[in-house]
Amino acid sequence: MGSYTIPAVQDMSIRLTKAMRLGIVGESGSGKTTLALAIMGLLEKRASVNGSIRFAGTDLQQLSEKQRNPYRWSRIALVFQNSLDVLNPVLTVHEQIWECLVRHTTLARADAHETVVSLLESVGMAAEHGPYYPHQLSGGMRQRVLLAMALSCDPEVLILDEPTNALDAVTKTDIINRIARIQQEKQFGLIVISHELQTIARLTSRISVMYRGRIVEEGPTGTMLSLPLHPYTRGLVHASPDINPWRDMWGIPEESETSEFSESSEFSGNGGCPFVSRCCQKTDICQTRVPSLEPAAPERRVACNRGGIVTLLQGTGIHKHFGVNGTSVRACQDCCIRVRSGEAAVLIGESGSGKTTLANILSGILNPDRGDIRFNGEPVVRSRASRRKKGMQIIFQDPYSAINANLGVEQAIREPLDILGQDLPEHKTASVIRALQQVGLPVDDHFRRRKCHTLSGGQRQRIAIARALVMDPAILIADEISAMLDPSTQANILRLLKGLQNHHGFAMLYITHDLAVAQKIADWVYVMNHGKIVEQGDARQIFTNPAHPYTRKLVGQHFPEITRKTGDIPSSCVKNKPYVITRNPALAKAA
Amino acid sequence: MSRTIYKIAEYVLTFFFIITLNFFLPRFMPGDPFTFLSSDAGDVTVTCSQAQIDRYKSYYGLDLPLKDQYLHYIGNLFTGDIGYSIYYNDDVVRIIGNRACWTVMLVVVSLILSGIIGTIIGSLSAWFRGRLFDRAAYLFLVGFSEIPAFLTGLVLLFVGGAWLGWFPLSGGIRPFTEFSSVISRTADIIHHAILPVLAMVLTRLGDFYLLSRSSMLTVLSRDYMRTAKGKGLSKPRILFGHALRNAAIPVVTRLFLSLGTIFGGAVLVENVFNYPGIGRLMREAVMVRDYVLIQGIFIFVALSVLSMNLIADILIRKMDPRIG
Ligand SMILES: Nc1ncnc2c1ncn2[C@@H]1O[C@H](COP(=O)(O)OP(=O)(O)OP(=O)(O)O)[C@@H](O)[C@H]1O
Ligand code: SF4
Ligand SMILES: [Mg+2]
Repeated sequence: MGSYTIPAVQDMSIRLTKAMRLGIVGESGSGKTTLALAIMGLLEKRASVNGSIRFAGTDLQQLSEKQRNPYRWSRIALVFQNSLDVLNPVLTVHEQIWECLVRHTTLARADAHETVVSLLESVGMAAEHGPYYPHQLSGGMRQRVLLAMALSCDPEVLILDEPTNALDAVTKTDIINRIARIQQEKQFGLIVISHELQTIARLTSRISVMYRGRIVEEGPTGTMLSLPLHPYTRGLVHASPDINPWRDMWGIPEESETSEFSESSEFSGNGGCPFVSRCCQKTDICQTRVPSLEPAAPERRVACNRGGIVTLLQGTGIHKHFGVNGTSVRACQDCCIRVRSGEAAVLIGESGSGKTTLANILSGILNPDRGDIRFNGEPVVRSRASRRKKGMQIIFQDPYSAINANLGVEQAIREPLDILGQDLPEHKTASVIRALQQVGLPVDDHFRRRKCHTLSGGQRQRIAIARALVMDPAILIADEISAMLDPSTQANILRLLKGLQNHHGFAMLYITHDLAVAQKIADWVYVMNHGKIVEQGDARQIFTNPAHPYTRKLVGQHFPEITRKTGDIPSSCVKNKPYVITRNPALAKAA
Repeated sequence: MSRTIYKIAEYVLTFFFIITLNFFLPRFMPGDPFTFLSSDAGDVTVTCSQAQIDRYKSYYGLDLPLKDQYLHYIGNLFTGDIGYSIYYNDDVVRIIGNRACWTVMLVVVSLILSGIIGTIIGSLSAWFRGRLFDRAAYLFLVGFSEIPAFLTGLVLLFVGGAWLGWFPLSGGIRPFTEFSSVISRTADIIHHAILPVLAMVLTRLGDFYLLSRSSMLTVLSRDYMRTAKGKGLSKPRILFGHALRNAAIPVVTRLFLSLGTIFGGAVLVENVFNYPGIGRLMREAVMVRDYVLIQGIFIFVALSVLSMNLIADILIRKMDPRIG
């Protein structure tokens, strides 16, 4: 049998100051438990731990087992990951808590018995549960016992490994609340290890996100969850219904099939960014360079060769006015908008608020009076960004004017490819067929030859979408594309776009006045009124706790029930201001 | 509750099955006791005429139909009357009573010794898994357990008894001796018992060793052992309070359930050392087809095994809260 080493945790550094509450997030198998066990010195002898674990100035790694014991439990305690086997089956709950007290405190044996009872009560168990054996407990009760056991000796640091895994909502909330209250009271340092962002959001003030044993991003809980900088963090947030209850859930794509990285080279850590096989914004250097954790925004650090999720499209200070019959209409005033790679940004606002104007300016169709528009860092001038693959595509509001009605279906869709003139004809046809399939239209010869004017509005809209998709865009600007579609087709198209986005990572600026649709797809929301962007924020904030009076009115009209229910939203998710990313210039260049 | 009733019913049924078997088995064996009827214990001298045999048969009720014999047998059994040995010319209960204490002593002592020593070595072996101690103990003990008890006994007898002359060659106590005190009497009994006990312990040790080693290995890899270590408990507390309490459960079960096996060993070992226990008695009884005595011994053994099972049941329930 060959032996090999799996680095479960690499280059991991975390700091915990007194009474600090740190969350460690990561998927299953990302090395979270390994880290907790390393801190406690509980890894098997087979596991080797390099580096130092300092506690109040002492390097715990240098201590012998015997020297280490005084630190265990009385100073650093761990709520083990809940499993059937985590408590000794032949000892009662009471005994297992009691023995910690006898070992680490000066309590008399009799007093220790009373303390056990009060500990049990403090975690929501009754004194009668003391004589229970572990197999007589439910999962939730076992979690409570583990908590009581960890709290027994008043530790200075408490580590919780998946404290709310597999618990029902009521128990979960109760346990979270109790932990939060006890931490408030005792002011111990808290490390919460979990893949449940809801738990993390509630219990911690800072987060470190782990991927394949490395920290890929860290920062304050609130901003991390509302504006993740690492693609992996964003993936986690998108996969968590408790952070944004309306948005469809999308997991992070698993390893892409084209991954030429074998398991071993990925684990060896020399193969570049650990996330590279699942990343939708990777570049060539990601295959060879391991990104280090660098500051990316105030108080935030991210490990990405491109400095975190890149901004694809950025418009700053955009002004535009139209002269109509001598009067001037100010369609855009000092609009700033930004769409990041892989993001679904939604621009909402009433009819006539200037949304389409802004979209046209951003795509280079319309020239602004003033302002700077950059796609991938380069200024957008006319159609330079749209006449290329991996560029910017816009789908117009009105399908009738968008496509030359006299063209055949295939012709209309392949027109941009023809203009580009790069592909062989058979490749173009293949692209057309794929795009038609994606938008759910027939692909037979007959249909492909049909003239566009013989098609319905909805079909034409889909042709327009297919036409954008053949160019394999990096960003798609979609202006009210669902207005022409029946509800079912609209749902299909939206799912299609979100799905494509999730897998290919293109970004989307989706313009709509339909707030229900916006809610369903938005990661980030811009609210426009009278030519101004009056508010922006993550979807949860905009829809639950809008700040601007106009947004409040808009949201209130659409969802009267939501604005009333603001109370039960975790505070850390709500409080966040528009966020400025200060890109590390060195990293930007490297990318 | 219903579980307990079920368990009791199980024991009663087993008991009935055994005494029934006990009744029929010797009656289907070839030969009959009157072939070897003797005047002096031990020496087969008299051969009876057919008339005498018939008289004896009717005297002992052996000419009745099997059904009646069986009912008789059961009835007597419940009044504590197992019967009268034709060969030894004595009450069976008394004969067995005289011999039983020797065998019980041998069996109990060697069970306890092999259980304790096996568990200790097995636990240490698990703790030092893969090291020299583990490997040496494994080889030695498993090797020994492959050798049958009587063979080990013979070797011990030759080496310790005949060659070195350290131990007596046979018997359970020096015959025809007045002992000055209880202590010197006990010392003599122990002196006689050492070799037979050793033979039986050596044979049983491997079994307990393997069992406790694998049981301990499983326990050591369980999550709750990590929990105990994480709690910073002392080594003895982890080892005895947490590990052994779990690892001992299968060992204790085996301890009680292996009574039958070890009794089988005892029969052979007693014959090797000419030890005055049930084992030797049994051989004698079989040699002379003494039905009544054979039946008595069987009942004695069955009762011991059954009661040990019962004790094991109760004890395991106490040790492992997950059962019952
Ligand atoms: N004892 C071990 N021997 C070998 N590999 C191990 C061992 N323990 C963990 N690993 C590996 O280390 C990696 C991290 O495991 P770890 O238990 O820390 O994950 P985790 O993040 O806590 O996952 P979960 O959310 O499922 O609890 C995994 O790839 C796992 O297979
Ligand atoms: S862009 Fe490169 S470095 Fe950044 S997460 Fe993606 S693969 Fe890793
Ligand atoms: Mg874990």
